[in-house]
Amino acid sequence: MTRPRILLVDDDVAITENLASFLQRAGFDVTVAADGEAALREIACLRPDLVILDVLMPRLDGREVLRRLRQAGDWTPVLLLTQVGESTERAMALDEGADDYLNKPFDPYELVARIRAILRRARPGQPPLTVARALVSGFLRLDRLSRRVYLEGRELMLTPKAVALLEYMMTHPDELLTRERLLDAVWGWEYPAGTRTVDTRIAELRRALGDDAAQPRYIETVPGQGYRFIAPVETGP
Amino acid sequence: MRWRFLLALLPFVLGLFASVLIHFLGTSPVFFARADAAALAVLAGAFLSSLLAAGLGVSGLLERVRRTSLAQAQTQAAADRRRFLQRLDHELKNPLTALRAALANLAEASAEEDRCKALRDMEGQIQRLSRLVSDLRKLAELETRPIEHTPIDLNGLLEEALALARERPEAADRHLTLTLPRAPWPLPAITGDRDLLLLAVHNLLDNALKFTRPGDTVELRAFEDGTTVVVEVADTGPGIPEEEVPHVWEELYRGQGARGTPGSGLGLALVRAIVLRHGGQVSLRSRFGQGTVVTLRFPTR
Repeated sequence: MTRPRILLVDDDVAITENLASFLQRAGFDVTVAADGEAALREIACLRPDLVILDVLMPRLDGREVLRRLRQAGDWTPVLLLTQVGESTERAMALDEGADDYLNKPFDPYELVARIRAILRRARPGQPPLTVARALVSGFLRLDRLSRRVYLEGRELMLTPKAVALLEYMMTHPDELLTRERLLDAVWGWEYPAGTRTVDTRIAELRRALGDDAAQPRYIETVPGQGYRFIAPVETGP
Repeated sequence: MRWRFLLALLPFVLGLFASVLIHFLGTSPVFFARADAAALAVLAGAFLSSLLAAGLGVSGLLERVRRTSLAQAQTQAAADRRRFLQRLDHELKNPLTALRAALANLAEASAEEDRCKALRDMEGQIQRLSRLVSDLRKLAELETRPIEHTPIDLNGLLEEALALARERPEAADRHLTLTLPRAPWPLPAITGDRDLLLLAVHNLLDNALKFTRPGDTVELRAFEDGTTVVVEVADTGPGIPEEEVPHVWEELYRGQGARGTPGSGLGLALVRAIVLRHGGQVSLRSRFGQGTVVTLRFPTR
């Protein structure tokens, strides 16, 4: 099996050097670019399987690189490294077509887990679920612009946090999501009461979805690890 | 301050009133006055000048007052900023010093055991730095990020905070209690962001457990007071010296008694930021040697 080709884009040499050797040991073929313009050049000639893109960079920032790629119809999977943990920033990362994002400072093992998950999920040449306007799974529909969720045509009353959690799970279906990952991705914070915070919202979602934890249709508990959205998800109209 | 301009209408209203009165009395005497144009011009000029002078004088006075308070605020902000940077510098120095020492040990260690210990120490210091950065980010974000406004069942939230506190090892030998009102009615719901409020109460209980000794009492209680809900965390711990009490809410402030206890010095600053975002208030009373109580007040609507 060939090693997946990864383009790592960050202007901080201390980060690229250490991460590149870490990723190489993890079984990836890594090329480094130091700014946005170099990244676009490399993507064009290297055709990487995945791009790790830092947001804050000189000349052309990561967000702009992502925008140009997607405008050109290039759906190469992109993992965005967000610097600011603001929830709006994270929502923007998904809106602009990133496949996933990680907040700095992150655990390098988590980065590898994210990369593997994206590569497994990738549908070559097709837009990822993260850019869909609506996500549909069976009778469940999440309208991402209006932030409304419908089950069998009936609107569910959910807190904004529960909608964000469901959105993240539906854009990452069939993926083991640890409580820590969900906290970082959806809340953007570590909470001391963190894992319980996730459990509370999952319980809220299950109640609203009428999902039985013992025989789930949508959200499965992975004992001792986290949760997984088990139903297939499609891009909705 | 708009209503002050209504004051200017007072003479006009009085005049109107007098005019109506005279009209109904029926005898409206007619007055004639003669003045030469030269005198009138001087008078009109003098009148307008005095009007202008009065206006300019008042606005100048207001401007001076505004400038002084602005200058005071700026001086205060500059002092706060300087103090914050000094504390940040201090908070960064210690883990960095420890990291350098561990790195030197790692370079020189020959035994596997020593290498492992150095690596463990470095990992610990990195976590300490990460926590600091993460708490600083939370504080910065709390001022701008949109927060949820959903109705919150405080009873459930406080019970959850208590359950979390009981998981701490210190909880085993402290008297940890929760008191909630049942009569004449239970606590009213408040609106807000449940995760943030749980974090706030959790931080307070965490502090109480951290600074008390075995055998001490820690009480979590809540009650209704008019249109506010009061949440209190009280302890029979060592208390805080009087001169330190005004500073406890400041970012990165660490009292004498807190040295040697792990923490970033941002816990209470976070609590304060969370409560303020909910339209509430915070206060802390303490008696050195007797204990401390932190009070959070939230509007019920």
